[in-house]
Amino acid sequence: MLLKVILQLLVLIRDVQEQLDKVRRKPSLPLSELVTQHYLGMTYENRPMYYLKISQPSNKAKKIIWMDCGLHAREWISPAFCQWFMKEILQNYKTDPKIKSFLQNLDVYILPVLNIDGYIYSWTTERLWRKSRSALINSTCFGTDLNRNFNGSWGSIGVSHNCSSLTFCGTGPESEPETKAVARFIEKRKSDVLCFLTVHSYGQYILTPQQNHAPCQRKGLRLHELYKNSGSWWDWAHMIGIPFFYTFELRDKGAYGFILPPDQIQPTCEETTSAVMTITEYVNQKYFPNSAVAVTSGSLWL
Amino acid sequence: MQRRSAARLSPLLLLLLLLLPLAWGAGPWPPRADRELQVSSRLAGQAARVALHYLNYRLGSPSALRALGQVRKATVKPIPGIGHKYYLQFTTEDYKSSQNVGTCLATVLYLKRKPRPAVNINCTYTKDQKQTREDDYSFYKKLRQQTKPITGNDTPDSYGHIEPALEPAWALAVAGSSYLMWEKSTENLGYFMAQVKNVKQWITKDDSIDFDYLVILHEIPTQEMISCHLRVIWTPGHPLKVKYFCLSENQRSESGEGSGTESGSTNGIFNEEEANF
Repeated sequence: MLLKVILQLLVLIRDVQEQLDKVRRKPSLPLSELVTQHYLGMTYENRPMYYLKISQPSNKAKKIIWMDCGLHAREWISPAFCQWFMKEILQNYKTDPKIKSFLQNLDVYILPVLNIDGYIYSWTTERLWRKSRSALINSTCFGTDLNRNFNGSWGSIGVSHNCSSLTFCGTGPESEPETKAVARFIEKRKSDVLCFLTVHSYGQYILTPQQNHAPCQRKGLRLHELYKNSGSWWDWAHMIGIPFFYTFELRDKGAYGFILPPDQIQPTCEETTSAVMTITEYVNQKYFPNSAVAVTSGSLWL
Repeated sequence: MQRRSAARLSPLLLLLLLLLPLAWGAGPWPPRADRELQVSSRLAGQAARVALHYLNYRLGSPSALRALGQVRKATVKPIPGIGHKYYLQFTTEDYKSSQNVGTCLATVLYLKRKPRPAVNINCTYTKDQKQTREDDYSFYKKLRQQTKPITGNDTPDSYGHIEPALEPAWALAVAGSSYLMWEKSTENLGYFMAQVKNVKQWITKDDSIDFDYLVILHEIPTQEMISCHLRVIWTPGHPLKVKYFCLSENQRSESGEGSGTESGSTNGIFNEEEANF
């Protein structure tokens, strides 16, 4: 059984690497005009972190939409969604008028797996692992909850300072290399980042601070209030002044939880893509009013 | 819930009002009159789930397990010296298929002294009752006909797959875990059954179905995964018998036993057109 899992994981990693290599290969492939891979930093276990930048070549200075997946290892539907969304843009950017419109003004940065070490650990060893894989106390205790490790009211509420806890916030704000790599990157570009999306599971809702209701209320998406916790991506994004930030909690509502069956992957990705597109179109309209295509209304249910 | 009209301020009442800010820090919100909650609030959803844990346990029907759909209305009333009482209206979904199966009205009283919330719940049920009874009976027959005890690990497996042969056992684990989750739930701690780590059937000489489980519960908001041993004894149409023993990270252990005689109430299930509710 373990051998089967390892083989499947190796196939997965090989497939992802092949896709990325295709993207990197030289110009005869049209996609290489649009998407490039960039180094972000190294994980605790020394794996390189890459983000993908989807950017229509032009002389125009663009603003940024950031999306990350796989912050919590066991939330497998999340990295699946980042890959799906990328595919959606790359398949449709020439034909879909809304994508064409926002790509004139916005670059989309996607980090498919933020917590690579934890994700691999959840495939090879413990399916319900959540945290990173940093070792503490002479390697007797492992992992920081990366979503409690950011420098936004770090360590105050909804966290644990106990290493064995699943909400352990780390030895200090940005103590983890993954957190530091992402935070440094965004910080350098914060005046250009308009919208910031982080994808999790489960629960089937979108988390947003009160003042950011506009685009979602119009489309009837389900907004939600969750428990308070500090040191999250969210707290930090808010603190450094990013205008729009949403946490997505994908399917399901608890029956399967983290262990979502394969037949729910596609419907989850489709409905979430609609939501992300809505937000992106809204941001595009708001900040670049003359060039945006009119947003059509429709009902969305997440 | 009617708002009480303003009374003439007596000196005692004035004193109590002055002391209110001190009470503010004591609980999750100030102990005032009934308070309407946003339907999206965590506390409303959590209370609704507690009511459903109780319902799923009391009905003891693996074919009729219900999950929370949407909260439609939620109010909370502080009862001084006793606890907080939630009044809820919510829709429900079939646990496996997520199809809408009706609406519930429930009250959930979180008590300061006793650990277990007191629940009253009444629901409509749009699935065919005869069908669910038949489904339960066919589960039962299949399990009774086992000569070799059913055993299994990791259900669902890492990819969300449940072996068809293990489905009845998994459904009974959900029903049995519901008792355990009802017992453990507090106003601030909620649970989901994440996975059945291990299942072993005991072949009995009487009419009952008997399973031993190791289940993993997901605890919110701590995110912890709690391992519990669960013993579930089922005869269709009879209250579920459940025994459990949980161990958590810090070695706190809890145990309990349920046999359908606990206080609380439900109208069972009845078919009624949604429009008449």
